[in-house]
Amino acid sequence: MRTTRTRLAAGALVLALALTACSGGGDGDSADGGATGGGGAIRVAVTDPVQLIPGRQTIAFDFNMAVWAPLTWISDDGELSYVAAESVESEDGTTWTITLRDGWTFHDGTPVTAQSYVDAWNAVAYGPNAWENSGQLANIVGYADLNVAEGEPATEMSGLQVVDDTTFTVTLTGPDGQFPMQLSQAQTAFYPMPESAFDDFDAYNTHPVGNGPFEVATDYAENEEMTVTAYEDYPGLEPTVDEITFVPYTDDTTAYTDVQAGNLDVAGVPVARQTQAAADFGDRLYSFEAAGISYLGLPLWDERYSDVRVRQAISMAIDRETIDEVIYGGLFTPATALTPAVEAGTPEGICGELCEYDPEAAKALLDEAGGFDGTIEIYYPGGAGMDELYTAIANNLRQNLGVEAVASPSTDWAEFADNRMAGTISGPFFSRWGALYPSQQNTLRAFYVDGGGCPNCIPYYEPEVASLIAAADAEVDPDAAAEAYAAVQERILEDFPAPPLFFETYSFVVSERVAELPTSAVGNPTYTQVVLTEGA
Amino acid sequence: MTRYAVRRAVELVVVFLGVTLVIYLMVFALPGDPIRSLGGDRPLPDNVVAELRARYHLDEPVLQQYLRYLGGLFTGDLGTNFSGQSVASRMESRWPVTITLALTAWGIEVVLGVLLGLFAGLRRGRAGDRLVLAGTILATSIPVFVVAVTAQLVLGVRLGWFPVAGTSEGWPTSYLLPATVIAVFGLASVTRLMRGSVVDTLQSDFVRTLRAKGLRQRQVVGVHVLRNSAIPVLTFLAIDLGFLLGGTVVVEGVFNLPGVGQLLFQAIRAHEGPTVVGVSTALIIIFLLTNLVVDLLSSVLDPRIRHE
Repeated sequence: MRTTRTRLAAGALVLALALTACSGGGDGDSADGGATGGGGAIRVAVTDPVQLIPGRQTIAFDFNMAVWAPLTWISDDGELSYVAAESVESEDGTTWTITLRDGWTFHDGTPVTAQSYVDAWNAVAYGPNAWENSGQLANIVGYADLNVAEGEPATEMSGLQVVDDTTFTVTLTGPDGQFPMQLSQAQTAFYPMPESAFDDFDAYNTHPVGNGPFEVATDYAENEEMTVTAYEDYPGLEPTVDEITFVPYTDDTTAYTDVQAGNLDVAGVPVARQTQAAADFGDRLYSFEAAGISYLGLPLWDERYSDVRVRQAISMAIDRETIDEVIYGGLFTPATALTPAVEAGTPEGICGELCEYDPEAAKALLDEAGGFDGTIEIYYPGGAGMDELYTAIANNLRQNLGVEAVASPSTDWAEFADNRMAGTISGPFFSRWGALYPSQQNTLRAFYVDGGGCPNCIPYYEPEVASLIAAADAEVDPDAAAEAYAAVQERILEDFPAPPLFFETYSFVVSERVAELPTSAVGNPTYTQVVLTEGA
Repeated sequence: MTRYAVRRAVELVVVFLGVTLVIYLMVFALPGDPIRSLGGDRPLPDNVVAELRARYHLDEPVLQQYLRYLGGLFTGDLGTNFSGQSVASRMESRWPVTITLALTAWGIEVVLGVLLGLFAGLRRGRAGDRLVLAGTILATSIPVFVVAVTAQLVLGVRLGWFPVAGTSEGWPTSYLLPATVIAVFGLASVTRLMRGSVVDTLQSDFVRTLRAKGLRQRQVVGVHVLRNSAIPVLTFLAIDLGFLLGGTVVVEGVFNLPGVGQLLFQAIRAHEGPTVVGVSTALIIIFLLTNLVVDLLSSVLDPRIRHE
């Protein structure tokens, strides 16, 4: 017996040593081998993008903004500047002349010309291609001819005319003073593509060639890391890092943990970590104002919500400040207008007391309107980390209005969208919009114009509001336009179709190697301009 | 024996057809339009939706879609997802990860489980036995998710011994921690099965005879007891390997390992019929095959078991 015991003990010890030896090896590997390598390289978390072509991508913004250069750029203070374009001009707001900077090349060495843009835009808009971002081009004359329900579609939009190598004109279906903003960084449908792309889009998706500060170094493969390196002949703003590796994660919490461990340089903060991110990372937590806003959508097709006082009472019964503190760790901002504060000219505070927490006034208003019959059932997409938010709102409504209120999730996004579109929802519902260019136009169109972008948001489509928005669109002068959009908000608030909830922020955590994470108006990090710490 | 094997193989085909149909119908029955959710909360233009629905035959009745899918299968085409990626190539890139993870976990489970079981069996009723029993029960009763996240935080972030996520450092470094987490969960069953088997064998007549003949304890345990106790444990371990190859969705998710478990999870969320059916059918076939092999092997290991 004694011998056996000794042998077993020895065996266990060997095993334990083997385990430690392996783990020791792992540590060594990560220290000198992979993670951070040579000077000026960063590793950032992404969701496996699948589609990388600008006209198709829906979640590859970071990659697109590194590999392509947009025509215009909007910085985080809302200033518009020109990148690939030298100027974007129009007198009437309908016909725009875009002049490109001279001497730009794609990463394959071919010149970027006006034709590169026109060809790319036509490909994006071409109906049979069924590219996800084609909607961004819908206001160009001729778009409809490429998207016919029956018969042979055209292949070129008549609204695009090449003038010379560096100049082309764009004719819109109506005057739109916000067009230069629509050409900015996150509207990737407006990026150019080189001639080689059109031979084989699948090959192009595997190895995209752009006109931006970084070129693709490793081909795209599903769920594998992808590296881009600085493009030497880029004539624009020189990048501060010379290599960016996009690391795909299926679980954003894992990416967050990997930044804690120092194996990754930048990751988004998942909802589940928002309240602890400040404690975990201190000043290595960045919160960027984004062009996103959330509403509590109301079922205006249901009679019980037809009295404006009921809708106002619901808004005033929601304690936005506390919800923001408890659920979002104070990272969001309670909404005080109908468009995100980051959008130029947004009349902050225009919502006034209707967006402020006042339980007594809310209850009084509801009583005045004759009370509420039945249960308020808040419907939202399940599995997206929104349970706490809607449960908190339901609690607010129940406690402050004396009405039965519950939050009930769908199984997933698809089910929510289906039920919302079918109009079978009988209670308040999830409603948000993240604008791809920070103009009040984008948000107002999405929410308040039929077919304007967000069919599953608030179903409030007043002809008068639509024509006011169109009038504001026609203003070419930015200040006049901002004022006109603010006037639209005034008009909408008279009807108070749904309570705005929060101005959104996008939050990111960085490793100790990153000294500064810059952003732009769209609220994601500008990876090409990341500042690294000394010696990192 | 041959007839038995053939009969089992025929069963396999029936199960295959039934399973693919049922799973296809189930994915189809999921509420919501998968094409509309491709763009997330940014809706796709209607004409794009219509074009994509036609391209992936979502506008056809479900049975027609299923037959089309089956027809593709017989020509070796597993179909594509709604972004046009081939299901076969997606699975191909993920199998190595899952197989590596499963085999590593299985190896840890075999070595630790058999050793601990033997140890406990030999010291039946004593403190060591009780400790092993309590330890393995405790390990099994903590949810895998909790073990995984805790191990990640303590061993990965605090101590920095293991990489937190991903497969970039290859085997074994990247796989040790997740594999151990999985192994910890299955350890209790193996240990207790082994322990019981050892206790039984130690009490059997032939062991007493061996001892009476004057064989040393080393030989009795090392050669005779170990081998005879191993048969029931081996059966269990083989079936367990089938389970492990099914991918461990939770562990693959937490450690960001791009294996088939993760693929299945993503595919269900995206309502990708062909991917879900492809992956789950492959898993079912693996499971059926391991079972068949175990059944056939058991009669080889123990001649008393016969398959007529």
